[in-house]
Amino acid sequence: MYSQILLNGLMLGAIYACIAVGFSLVWGVLNVINMIHGAFIILGGYITFFAWLHFKIHPFMMILPVAVLMFGLGYILQRGMINKVISKPVLTTLTLTFGLEMILYNAMNLVFSATPRRIALDMGSLKLGELLLSVDRIASMVLALTLTGLLYLVLRTSKIGRAIVAVRMDRDAASLMGINVKEIYAITFGIGAFMAGACGALVAVVFPISTSLTGVFLGKAFVICVIGGLGTVPGALVGGLTLGVIESFAGYWLGPQNAILIGFILMLVLLVVRPTGIIGKKGYE
Amino acid sequence: MKSQRIGYFIFFVWVALLALSPFIANNYIVKVSTFLAMYAAIALSWNFIGGYAGYPSFATAAFVGLGSYSGAILQNAGIPMLMAWFFAAVIVVIFAAGVGRIILKMKGHYFAIGSIAMVDVLSHTASSWASMTGGGEGLNVKIMEGGPDFAGMVFLYTMLAIMLAAFITTVIVDRNRLGFGLRCIQQNEDAADMLGVNVMRYKLIAFVLSSVFCGLIGAAYASWVAYISPIDAFSILLTLKAAVMVLLGGAGMIFGPIVGSAALVIFEELIWSKFLDLHHGLFGLVIVLLIFFLPNGLLKIKWRRSSRESGDNS
Amino acid sequence: MKLFSSIVLFRTAKALLGVAVVSTFMLGAASAQTIKIGTPLALTGGLADEGKKQVIAYDMWLNRVNAAGGIDVGGKKMKVELVRYDYQTSEQRAQQLAERLIVEDKVDFLLAPFGSGHTKVVAGVAERYGVPVVATSASSESIFNQGYKNLFGVLAPNTGSITNLLTLIGQSQPNVKRIAILGREDVFPKAMATTMNELAIKAGYQVQSMEFYPVSTLDLATPISKIKALKPDWIYITGYSKDLILARKQMADLNVTAPVVTMITGPVYKEFIDALGKQAENVTSASWWHHSAQLTGDDPWGSTKAFYDEFVAREKQDPDYVHAASAAALVALQKAIEKAKTLDKTKVREALATLDIKTFYGPIKFGPNGMNTAITGLPIIQVQNGQPVPLFPQAVQKGTLRVFK
Repeated sequence: MYSQILLNGLMLGAIYACIAVGFSLVWGVLNVINMIHGAFIILGGYITFFAWLHFKIHPFMMILPVAVLMFGLGYILQRGMINKVISKPVLTTLTLTFGLEMILYNAMNLVFSATPRRIALDMGSLKLGELLLSVDRIASMVLALTLTGLLYLVLRTSKIGRAIVAVRMDRDAASLMGINVKEIYAITFGIGAFMAGACGALVAVVFPISTSLTGVFLGKAFVICVIGGLGTVPGALVGGLTLGVIESFAGYWLGPQNAILIGFILMLVLLVVRPTGIIGKKGYE
Repeated sequence: MKSQRIGYFIFFVWVALLALSPFIANNYIVKVSTFLAMYAAIALSWNFIGGYAGYPSFATAAFVGLGSYSGAILQNAGIPMLMAWFFAAVIVVIFAAGVGRIILKMKGHYFAIGSIAMVDVLSHTASSWASMTGGGEGLNVKIMEGGPDFAGMVFLYTMLAIMLAAFITTVIVDRNRLGFGLRCIQQNEDAADMLGVNVMRYKLIAFVLSSVFCGLIGAAYASWVAYISPIDAFSILLTLKAAVMVLLGGAGMIFGPIVGSAALVIFEELIWSKFLDLHHGLFGLVIVLLIFFLPNGLLKIKWRRSSRESGDNS
Repeated sequence: MKLFSSIVLFRTAKALLGVAVVSTFMLGAASAQTIKIGTPLALTGGLADEGKKQVIAYDMWLNRVNAAGGIDVGGKKMKVELVRYDYQTSEQRAQQLAERLIVEDKVDFLLAPFGSGHTKVVAGVAERYGVPVVATSASSESIFNQGYKNLFGVLAPNTGSITNLLTLIGQSQPNVKRIAILGREDVFPKAMATTMNELAIKAGYQVQSMEFYPVSTLDLATPISKIKALKPDWIYITGYSKDLILARKQMADLNVTAPVVTMITGPVYKEFIDALGKQAENVTSASWWHHSAQLTGDDPWGSTKAFYDEFVAREKQDPDYVHAASAAALVALQKAIEKAKTLDKTKVREALATLDIKTFYGPIKFGPNGMNTAITGLPIIQVQNGQPVPLFPQAVQKGTLRVFK
C-alpha cells in the first residue's frame, strides 16, 4: 500500500515539478512573480486539446509546437511590457502580471469557454508486481522529467544558459561582463512560458482542464518554489516531487481534506526555517 | 501644509456625502457607499505595511477572513453583534502579532509568499475544521432585524467608522516617529537598523495595524451578508485589489488609499454592468495601464513635481 | 502645491460626478410596462460552465412567453424582461448584485444564482426587501435553513434522489452491502455525501469510509487507493464535473472497481461523458429530471416532449436537469403571478407558497422551508452506450442496471 502511495506521489510530483520549473526560473532570474504562469499552462492545455479534437494531433506531438508558441508569447510580453517595469519593486511587477493574467483569462473564457476538457487517451495501466501505473501518467512523468532535464542541461552547458545563471547570481556583475541583461530576461521569461505551455500539453492528458484552474496551478507553483528553492531546476524538481509525495501520504494518514493544508504548512515552516528551500542557493530576497 | 488642509477638507466632504447617502440616494447607492468605505478602510490598512514599510503583504485576505469567521462563530455562540466584532478584532490582532513575528523576518518575495501562505492555510483550515466552521457548507449568521433601510444604514456607518478610525491612525502614524521609521525601513532596512530604528518592532506594529481594521471589517461583513464560506471569505483577489488601490492612489501617503479605492470602486461599477463578458479583462487592462502610466500613483507624481516646484516638504 | 490641490480637487469631483451620473442614469431607467426578473449569472469564475446552461433555459422560456404576449397579470398581458449580470462566482458580487437588481433596476422578482452559497447570500438580501427569489439549482436542506420566507427552490431535496438510489440498488443488487463514500468539501456535494451516509446506514448498509477532499484538489489517487483496499461493493463519489472526471480516470488508472459505481452528478451531464469516453460506461447517478419523462403540464411548453424537442433543435444535444429546472423556476414565477393576479411582491410570495401545479418538469409545490416537496420520481440514471439512461422509477425506465464485473 505504501509503495503505491509513494508511486502516486512521485507521478504527481513529476507533473508538479514541470508546473513549477518555469515559474521558478522566472522568479529566480528576473525577480518577477509571474502571475500569468497558471494561465499559460491552461492556454497550452487548451491549444493541445483543440488540436486533438479538430485535427486529431496526438497531444505528445503538440508539446513542442505549443511550447514554442508560448515561448514567443512570453518573449514578446517580457520585451514589450514587463521589462519596462523590471526594476520597480516586487509589487509593481506582480500587479502588472496579475492584470495581464486577467486579460488572458477573460480571452480564454470567451474563446474556449469554461467547460472542463480532457484528452481521453485511454492508454490503460501497467502492472508492476503489486503496483499499478497508469500509462498516460507515466508517459507524462517521463516527458516532464525529460523536459526538465533538458532545461537543466541547457542552463548548465549552453552559452545562453550560463548567461542566464550569471544574471541570476548577480545581475550587475553579469551586465558588467557584457551580458545583455534585457535580452536574457526576455529569453528567460520565454523559457518560463515554454515550460508552462509544454506542461499544459501534458496536463491536458492527465487532468480535466478549465479556466478555473489557473489559480490552482499558480498556487502549487508557489508552494513548490518555496519548498525546493528558487530559480534552479533541481530545486523545482525536488520541490515538486516532495510536494507530491507529502500530499499523497498526508492524504493517506490524515484524510484528503488535510493533504493540501499540510503542503502549505510545510511551506510556511520552510519559509521560516530555511527560506532558500531544500536545495536552495541564495535567491533574491 | 496648505495642500494637506485642502486634502482634509475634500476628504471630509467625501465622508459627509457618503454618510448622507441614505437620505439623498437609494439603497443601492448606499450599498456602493458602504463598499467605498469598506475598500478604503482595507486600502488604508494595507498602506501601513505595504505603503509605508514597503513590505508586500498579501495577508489582508487572511485578516478579513479570520475576522469574518471569528465574528460569525462568536455571534452564533450568543455574543451580541458589536461585542463579537470587537473580540473578532482582538483575535485577528493576536494572530497577526504571532504570525508577524515569524514572517517579518523574511524579506521581499519571501515575505509575500509567507503572507499568501497564511491566507491559504486559514482558508483550508476553515474548510476542513468543519465542526467549528461548517466546512464547505459555510456558516450562517443570524440576519439582523430591521429591514433593508435600517440595515443599510447600520452597515454604512459601521464601515465609515472603521474607515475613519483607519484614516486617523494613518495620520497619526504618518506624522509620528513610527511613520518616519517605516519609511526609513522601506528605503534601506539595514541602514535604519544601524541608525537605531527598532526595525522588528516597527514592522510588527505596522503589520498589526494592517490587521486590526481588516478584522473588524471581516466581522461586520459576516453580519451584513449573514452567510460566509471558506473560498469567498479568504479571497486573494481582495488583497490584490487592496494593493492595486493603494498603488493607484499613491503608496505611503495619507490620501493615497482613499483616492485609489474610490477610483477603483467607481470604475468597477461603471464597467461591470455595461460590459458583461469583458469586465474581467477590462479590469486587467486598467491595471496594466495603471502600471505603465501611473507607476507611482495619482497623488505621488503631482506631489513630487509640485514639491520640487515649490521647494518645500509638506 | 496649487497643482496638488487642484488635481485632488479635480479627481474627487470627477469621482463624485461619476457616482451622480451612474445613479441618475440608473434611477431614470424605469420601465413601467414590463415584468422585470433579475437573473444573476455566473458568466466568469468557477461556475461559468453551469451558468451557461441557465442562460439557454432562460432564453427559451423568455422567447415563448413573450411570443405569446407575456404573462397575464390580472387580465392584462405584460411582457417580461430578464435583467442579467455576471456575478463572477463571487459571494461579494452576488450580494451587491442582488441589491442592485432590487434597488436600481427595480426588478419585481429574482432568480437565484447557480452556486449554493451564493444563493444563500442573494436570499439574504431579498429577504430584507421582501422580494421573492426562486432557486433553480439548490437542493440541499442547508441552503434553506435560514428561515427565509422569500426563498423557493424547484429542485426536490437531496433525500429524494438518494432514497430512490438506495431503493433501486437494494432491489436489483441485494448482494451489495458495503459502501465507500468520497465527497467534495462544498455545500452541495458534501450534502449529497452526508445524506447518503445517513440513509445508507438506515437501510442496513455498512459504510466503510467517508472522506472529503478539498475544493482545489488536483489529485484523488490517495483516497481512491484507500478505497481500493477496502474492496467495497459500492463506490459513491460526489463533486463537480471536473472532480468526477478526474476520479473516474484515476479509478481506472489504479484498477479500482466495484459492482456499483455512483457519481453525483457528473454522468447526467454531457461534458462528463464526452471527457471520459468509454470510461463513463456503467456509472450511475441521480438526477432531478430526465427528458424522457412523459409529463404534461400547464406551462409554455405543455409537455416534456415539447421542451425536449425545442432544446434539441436549438442546441443539438439533450437537455439535462439544470436546463429543465432553470426553465421551471421561471414557470413557477409565471404561474404564481397569474394566480396572484398582481405584481405585488407579498401577494406573489403567498401565491408561490401555496402553488400546486404540474409542469413539463414535474409537479411544483413548495414546502414550509421553500423546497419543492412534490416531486417524488427522481430518476436514477446509468451511462449505457454513451448515453444517460434512466433506470428508475418505472415511469421513466428505459433500461436495467448493469454492474461492473
